[in-house]
Amino acid sequence: MVEIENPTTLINKDYESIELVTFAEWIEGFERLANLGVGLILEPGDDVYLIQNQLDLIDLIALDFSNFDDGRGYTQAYLLSKRWKYVGEIIGINAHLDQLQFMIRSGVTSYQLLESYKGSNEEDYSNGFSLCYQAAANNNGLNLQY
Amino acid sequence: MYKYSEKDTQFLVERVDQFEKQLNRYLSGELDEDKFRSLRLRNGLYMELHAHMLRVAIPYGILSSNQLRALADVADKYDRGFGHFTTRQNIQFNWIQLPEIANLLRDLTDVGLHAIQTSGKATRNITADPLSGLTEGEIEDARPYCELIRRWFNLHPEFSWLPGKFKIAINGAKLDETALRIHDLGLRLVKNKKGELGFSVYVGGGLGAAAMIGPETASFVPIEDILSYLESAMRIYNLKGRRDHQKKLRIKFLVRELGAAEFSRLVDEDWQQTKNDPELKLNLKELQSLKEDFELPIDPINLKGFRDEVDFNYSIWKKNNVRSHKVSGYSIVTISLTKLGSAPGDATSEQMRILAKLGDQYSSSEIRTTKRQTIVFPFVRKDEVFDLWKSLEENDLDSPHQGTLAQIVACPGRDYCDLAKAVSIPIATRVQERFNEMNKLLDIGDLNINISGCENSCAHHHIADIGLLGMQKNGEEYYQITLAGETLHETNIGKKLGPSVSSETVVDAVENIVNVFIDNRKSEEKFTDVFKRIGIEPFKEKVYG
Ligand code: HEM
Ligand code: SF4
Repeated sequence: MVEIENPTTLINKDYESIELVTFAEWIEGFERLANLGVGLILEPGDDVYLIQNQLDLIDLIALDFSNFDDGRGYTQAYLLSKRWKYVGEIIGINAHLDQLQFMIRSGVTSYQLLESYKGSNEEDYSNGFSLCYQAAANNNGLNLQY
Repeated sequence: MYKYSEKDTQFLVERVDQFEKQLNRYLSGELDEDKFRSLRLRNGLYMELHAHMLRVAIPYGILSSNQLRALADVADKYDRGFGHFTTRQNIQFNWIQLPEIANLLRDLTDVGLHAIQTSGKATRNITADPLSGLTEGEIEDARPYCELIRRWFNLHPEFSWLPGKFKIAINGAKLDETALRIHDLGLRLVKNKKGELGFSVYVGGGLGAAAMIGPETASFVPIEDILSYLESAMRIYNLKGRRDHQKKLRIKFLVRELGAAEFSRLVDEDWQQTKNDPELKLNLKELQSLKEDFELPIDPINLKGFRDEVDFNYSIWKKNNVRSHKVSGYSIVTISLTKLGSAPGDATSEQMRILAKLGDQYSSSEIRTTKRQTIVFPFVRKDEVFDLWKSLEENDLDSPHQGTLAQIVACPGRDYCDLAKAVSIPIATRVQERFNEMNKLLDIGDLNINISGCENSCAHHHIADIGLLGMQKNGEEYYQITLAGETLHETNIGKKLGPSVSSETVVDAVENIVNVFIDNRKSEEKFTDVFKRIGIEPFKEKVYG
């Protein structure tokens, strides 16, 4: 696709390959990119409020969780999913197994683990909790008590 | 007394299971140092100079006698027979072996205790007035609110990876025993003109190298809207807090950089979008049920004709350690753990068991801890105070230090802490040795001396009458002195006296400061009153000559 300068691709939840642009590329050329069915990578420092009014132009949003201690992605996921009701896929990329419970409840709809977790036994990680003490973006199937 | 339900206990067990897996992955090399650090801190585990330190939460500073016994057992089984009560009402164990931690935590789940979020970049254990529910004139007992807010932010998916730690204090009394305006977020229970209950909110306080008093960001948030307001404050912090600079992580830096007005505006803008979300309303039914759980276990008694014993030592102790209770026939008794040479706040397992037993006998099995590292028996019958004192005396727990300057608050300092620049505990001991005459102590009256071994300010030196901060100068230990910090009636950060003083001369300096106070004091004036009246100069002159 000539219009995209440095394409990265990602397999979405339907196993289709989808091209991703960076946040800066999107902001600069969203009118041009809008019809191409591209996804967007949001780094923790990117201002998610800037795309608030363009969400129906974006097929998929990838939030980058590679920095274990940087929690901004959880708020980005919350805003997209709960507040702005984004209906596309919100995929957490470079995810850490220890943080899946937080990502999913914040509104991330699918995830791709960091390479280093390949071959890990998911059983060694959280098995989830029998109750949750708060309502969050995603409360599906959870026993809430607050 | 409020107790966790079976479901809550099950949650604690699940959290220990999860932590044990994380620990095992670390021990087998599968989990790297950095990630483990982030995970272990969320569970109160620090790596210290000689061993591992584990901080266990004492929610709102309240323990049942059984919980205290369980802590004593932990001290014996996993530590060297003692624990350390902290200024945030928690307890720390300093000599824990890494592979045993999961077993230790599992033992504690049986009595509803845990280490969840006692450290790390998330919402910490919430502090309340240790006298909640006990004193006259309280606006409302803060503890049910503390508990609802604690639950809400327990493993909260959006706010568990904040830029820095997040400490909340809630006060429902007239005087502020919680020091709420030096917390990241402080809540004061207030009533509006219509008599409705709500909170005024203060954000961005904190001590450390840049001590700040939190400005008010909202003057009245109705109680049912408090969760959404707190979420909005944390959301703005999560997105905009300084993650780029290790020393600017706390919310106080964000509030200072944006300005309180702009920060409040951003929070308010976010809050307008969520405050009507029914999912975020405080659960008033649960609140009611918690209020019942926190009801006092005593009824007024008529002790007409009762005459207390006459005994010289008893009367000295009673003057400083016994306060009036709002329920007639009862007293509030404070027990000081200070002893020459031992770290302030330290308690041996034997002392904990004695306190648990006496708590059963004299205080409806409830025991509280305070920010001055003392123990409170909240429900002692007036006609049993003497018997309690006798038992304390037999067990060497009758220190009359409480309410005098000898009740020093000190952090572990260089004896235990690898961040320390100087010792704290030995300075406390030397000050206590200098002022070892009871008559003199009683004459001086209540005067707070707090000693921190470095700028992290664990001992709250900024809000003491006399604060000492340990530092290094040319490889030697020096102490910076601050005067007249306070939080009870109003919040003030202590003023720097002048150049730091050497370890040799620091106790002389303290004595000089106390003497200036005594020489200038009029009738009932407190240290801060005198300081406000005469200013810092007379103190400077005396200390630096
Ligand atoms: C020896 C183990 C300890 C270590 C390594 C330690 C470490 C720290 C650090 C690094 C900070 C600053 C955090 C920041 O500003 O972001 C801090 C703050 C604090 N610590 Fe400790 N601490 C220890 C023991 C204690 C003890 C024993 C107490 C209570 C007596 C305590 C109470 C506090 C309090 C109240 C603060 C907050 C001060 C503020 O408002 O800025 N800590 N601690
Ligand atoms: S104030 Fe400094 S020396 Fe003291 S416990 Fe805290 S970090 Fe350690």
